[in-house]
Amino acid sequence: MIFSRKRTASLALGAALSTAALAGATHAFAADWKIDPAQSTLGFSGVQTGARFAGKFKRYNAVIAFDPAHPEAAHVTVTVDLASAATGDAQRDTALPGKDWLDVAQYPQAKFTSSSIRRTGAKSFEAAGTLTIRGVSRPATLPFTLDINGPAAHAKGHLDLIRTAFGVGQGAWASGQWVALQVGVDVDVVARRSN
Amino acid sequence: MAASRAGVSDRYTPVAILLHWLMALGILALAVIGLTMTRPSTPPGLMFKLYQLHKSIGITVLLVAFLRLAWRLANQPPALPDTMPVLEQKASGAAHVALYGFLFGLPISGWALVSASVFNIPTVLFGMVPWPHLPVLSTLPDKAPVEAVLKSVHNYGAWTLLALITLHAAAAFRHHLILRDGVLLRMLPTRRRPQPESANAMEPRRS
Repeated sequence: MIFSRKRTASLALGAALSTAALAGATHAFAADWKIDPAQSTLGFSGVQTGARFAGKFKRYNAVIAFDPAHPEAAHVTVTVDLASAATGDAQRDTALPGKDWLDVAQYPQAKFTSSSIRRTGAKSFEAAGTLTIRGVSRPATLPFTLDINGPAAHAKGHLDLIRTAFGVGQGAWASGQWVALQVGVDVDVVARRSN
Repeated sequence: MAASRAGVSDRYTPVAILLHWLMALGILALAVIGLTMTRPSTPPGLMFKLYQLHKSIGITVLLVAFLRLAWRLANQPPALPDTMPVLEQKASGAAHVALYGFLFGLPISGWALVSASVFNIPTVLFGMVPWPHLPVLSTLPDKAPVEAVLKSVHNYGAWTLLALITLHAAAAFRHHLILRDGVLLRMLPTRRRPQPESANAMEPRRS
């Protein structure tokens, strides 16, 4: 008797759990996602006097609402603390926040706000939106791949920018003679569902 | 000025010798790097690195110049030989004052030039120690004309120092090869450790 009661109970519990799981699944991906900073990198790269260099932003924030089934309803906002840029070269890292470059005193943050996200392949998407750096806002499109593995999603994308379109590199630096005008932004983030 | 001390201490102190030759090495490197980095045919990557190295060595020479001056003021240099005509002794004194002036003036003019540069490139000594720009110059609203003037000052200053050094070396060789009065040897390092007596004799004396 006792045995069968237990069994019934476990069945009921199992049913309840699977219902919950199913219910969860229907809007799990419509949920918000939170970036795992330990596994994520927001990097950038450039070419200085012919030599490539790469760096990363140590501090940034993202608000992500994304359902791969309904990418058109998704919305992503990324804010980057520009003073946290580091390339491992003391001289470059002293120059970078300065007035000629990112001018972090005046414009501490860069921002990307998506306006539309669309699927371009089985695991690939494109986020179109507005990128603001150094007070200049321009349209930008970030193509990215997305791997969703349970509660975690891994997004990877690359975007090339012309730095002078945003006024990065003033005066003598406005030409590509010493530092190439094209710079790359590399997004490699792991996000987890936050609800 | 120093004839009365003749024979008392005939050599520069080991510290003075070390500082002299360190600085000679530094200035030689600065001249070679300076001439290479300003050649338009130098590849940009190398050019940029050479500029940074030139700045690092130049600031080091400036710091060593302070050490040298302090050491010189605390330790009187050996007397010039009595056989030297007074006029030559005076000329020698003036040449040394000029050399010392350039040891400070030339690095400072370079520092000023870097500070007023339109490129506003931070100085990080040997890629490790951040070194500030000079005030005022680094915040000028229109740097270009000031930079141009400082560039000329540093350039002509460098050639003048090289001319002075040539004179300095030529005089040293004249003393050694023609006059044979041992003046050059006073600045050469020696392997022999100084005897206690001569160490005492190196104490500063004023005539």
